[in-house]
Amino acid sequence: MSRQTPDLLPAADLAGEPRRRLSRIWPGWGSAKRVPLLIIGSVLGALVVLAGLLAPWITPYPQDAGAVVHPAQTLLAPSAAHWFGTDMVGRDIFTRVIFGARVSLGIVVLVLVVSAVVGLTVGLAAGFFGGWLDSVLMRVTDVFLAFPALLLSVALAAVLSPSALHAAMAIAFTWWPWYARLARGQAASIRRQGYSDAARVLGASRTRQLVRHVLPNAATPVFVQMSLDAAGIILTAATLSYLGLGAQDPTPEWGLMVAQGQPLATTAWWVITFPGFAILLTAVAFNFVGDGLQTVFDPKRGLR
Amino acid sequence: MSDLLLVQGLRLSYGEREVVHGVDLRVPAGPYGLGIIGESGSGKTTIARALLKLHPAGSGSVTFDGADVLALKGSALSAYRRDVQLVFQDGDGALDPRMSVLSSVSEPLAIHDTVPKAQRRERVAALLDEVGLPIDIMTRYPHQLSGGQRQRVVIARALALEPRLLVLDEPTSALDVTVQERVLQLVEGLRERRQLAYVLISHNLAVVDRLCESSVVLYEGAVMESGPTRDLLDSPVHPYTRALRSAVPEIGVHRPALTRITAGASVPSTGCPYSERCPLVLDICRAQTPALRDVGGRQVACHRADDVANLLA
Repeated sequence: MSRQTPDLLPAADLAGEPRRRLSRIWPGWGSAKRVPLLIIGSVLGALVVLAGLLAPWITPYPQDAGAVVHPAQTLLAPSAAHWFGTDMVGRDIFTRVIFGARVSLGIVVLVLVVSAVVGLTVGLAAGFFGGWLDSVLMRVTDVFLAFPALLLSVALAAVLSPSALHAAMAIAFTWWPWYARLARGQAASIRRQGYSDAARVLGASRTRQLVRHVLPNAATPVFVQMSLDAAGIILTAATLSYLGLGAQDPTPEWGLMVAQGQPLATTAWWVITFPGFAILLTAVAFNFVGDGLQTVFDPKRGLR
Repeated sequence: MSDLLLVQGLRLSYGEREVVHGVDLRVPAGPYGLGIIGESGSGKTTIARALLKLHPAGSGSVTFDGADVLALKGSALSAYRRDVQLVFQDGDGALDPRMSVLSSVSEPLAIHDTVPKAQRRERVAALLDEVGLPIDIMTRYPHQLSGGQRQRVVIARALALEPRLLVLDEPTSALDVTVQERVLQLVEGLRERRQLAYVLISHNLAVVDRLCESSVVLYEGAVMESGPTRDLLDSPVHPYTRALRSAVPEIGVHRPALTRITAGASVPSTGCPYSERCPLVLDICRAQTPALRDVGGRQVACHRADDVANLLA
């Protein structure tokens, strides 16, 4: 057992070589190495993020991400000049797919941050304080959960003017209750742990108990769930755009591009294929990361 | 002699069900050990939780150093938290899995701000040294420690505030025999070095015998017998104490069972709570709850205490 280190370690070991230090910052690192899906997913995900960040410098026609029209070169098939071909107004699809990473990732980050903040706040308050606050907060959460999430998002996005930002808000609106439930369950079980009693006996204030003990211990499963959800959010955002309720042209949003390419699927396959593939790749990458993290943090596998 | 901790007529309930029916405890200033002996379900842990204000008291009084503990609030409660600390039954669950040993042990120092930030690391090192742990354990997390190491970390954390009273709830029951011995030696050492008073909760008579001047035997939330530990164990008067005493296995000794210990016997609603299991039971035991009274230098709650005492004499 490498974990059961003996009582007396040589003092020189305290400094530790780099790999040991990484394990200290994040104790799960040692086990992360043993989950190949997590590595593959992280690499793919990092590529998508990098592509989005570096889009203006790595794309051949950055101006095509915006409202430009090239009437002379509409619907050109993939070639050396246009790797993914051009769309119906002549814009370079490779450029637009790469820029699309920005839009999709922006939506994912926005939805995750908003729903995690709201969900954790509501859930931790309910689970930690219990009593009537718990009942009120959880009944409100249940009301949100009572509607089919996609339908509620669609309805909300339809009320707001269609844009990527509004689509993100509509998705976050239906997304946070899941985190609230998860966080509530965690907080309620943490409250019964010995270390919660210990904190009280030591005289920790409620704020300190929440911030130092409940939040860090409740957050892990929520983070894992967030990484699992990233793929779902990309798909939902794409769905809203596809239905015309999300990003609008000229925004290079993958779902929107698929919708625009659909009538041309038989004559210009590249218009729909490449953005569709981008959605698939990103969703798979995030799913791998989520599954991998779940494996790493699953206490039953004893890897944590 | 003034008492550090005085508990009188303490009653505790879970919802409608009362689990502790009027318990008296007395702990003089340290070094002194009071043992609470009883099997699981006897209300020992609930008493410990009530002493630490983790469980609300139904009625009765708890006085610490002259102050009414049950009424403590705000800064007075905070001061009480510095003076009275708990060592948990299960060292594993008592440590936050996401906190290093350094963070865990220095947390009380941070909460009460008794030690300046810059000196906390040094203080933690001294505490770890005191409980016999290597200093480099500071950077480890609970799952990287053995059960005995975790229990010592819990003790170090409890000592950080220099408490005057320690409540030890089954501190060794989750540990191997050899590790138990080291934890017991640690408590013995602390007791003399720190002039510590403590309440030790255990089902292990040998542990109580070694560490506690006086003891209380608890059955179903009521005191059966209390007095000096030596008297209690050498010449138990209450049939329940006698049963506990005879149930201790000793190597090479085949002691005939004095009485049957029937696990899961029902608790009668009237009379002596032990009457269902007692070999000396009379009609009066079932009809009337015996009060604690002095019998041969100790307190016994038994209608037949005099008969047993005469038999022994």
